[in-house]
Amino acid sequence: MITVERKPWREMVNHAQATYPNECCGAMIGTIVSGPDGDVKTVIHALALDNASAGPQAARYELRPEDLLRADRQARELKMDLIGIYHSHPDCDAYFSETDLKNSCPWYSFIVLSIQKGQYHHANSWLPNAEQTHAEKEELQWPES
Amino acid sequence: MARILIPTPLRQFVEKLDTVEADGATVGEVLAALTTRFPNLKKQLYNDEGKLRSFVNVYLNDDDIRYLQKDATSVAATDTLSIVPSIAGGLI
Ligand SMILES: [Zn+2]
Repeated sequence: MITVERKPWREMVNHAQATYPNECCGAMIGTIVSGPDGDVKTVIHALALDNASAGPQAARYELRPEDLLRADRQARELKMDLIGIYHSHPDCDAYFSETDLKNSCPWYSFIVLSIQKGQYHHANSWLPNAEQTHAEKEELQWPES
Repeated sequence: MARILIPTPLRQFVEKLDTVEADGATVGEVLAALTTRFPNLKKQLYNDEGKLRSFVNVYLNDDDIRYLQKDATSVAATDTLSIVPSIAGGLI
């Protein structure tokens, strides 16, 4: 399960709305606590990152590894963990697409925010496998949910 | 001994350490020493053909080893290696 605290949730939604009609992307930093029903991840900081995709960004995002390296260092300085990546789907649902899957990494939670006509609509969190063939839906909670 | 920073999700394969030290004169040797010591980490980083998985990048300090001399890049004892994924996506 992944829970997003109020402040990072607001920042992620605002980032996604401000970037509309393009896709936005960023990193999520927080804590992971092992519980009886598996890990409980809590997002405490959202880090807006550049969409580095060279072409049109309405249907495409790309993170620079350098930016992820910086996010990981920032997490270490905060004595927290880099736990996930977020990105937006302008005028589409918050599914995990074939392109998302083929360019994913099984180490992180992937939160997808659906932005419809410029406004936040809904969100899902996904856990892709190492073979990049399947992503499982992860229970996602945020303050307004 | 070079330092290797381990991303959180991979720490379960290295006895929960966030940083591991390993011997080696090159990036390839350091990674070999690391994955010999922690065989379960090897499955995370390498595919069945023994190649680094497509989403795995290795950085020596601030530089991607692909733009240095890859596995043959020299490593000094004061160097830090990082494991960084490639991540992208699209609507379709
Ligand atoms: Zn996507």
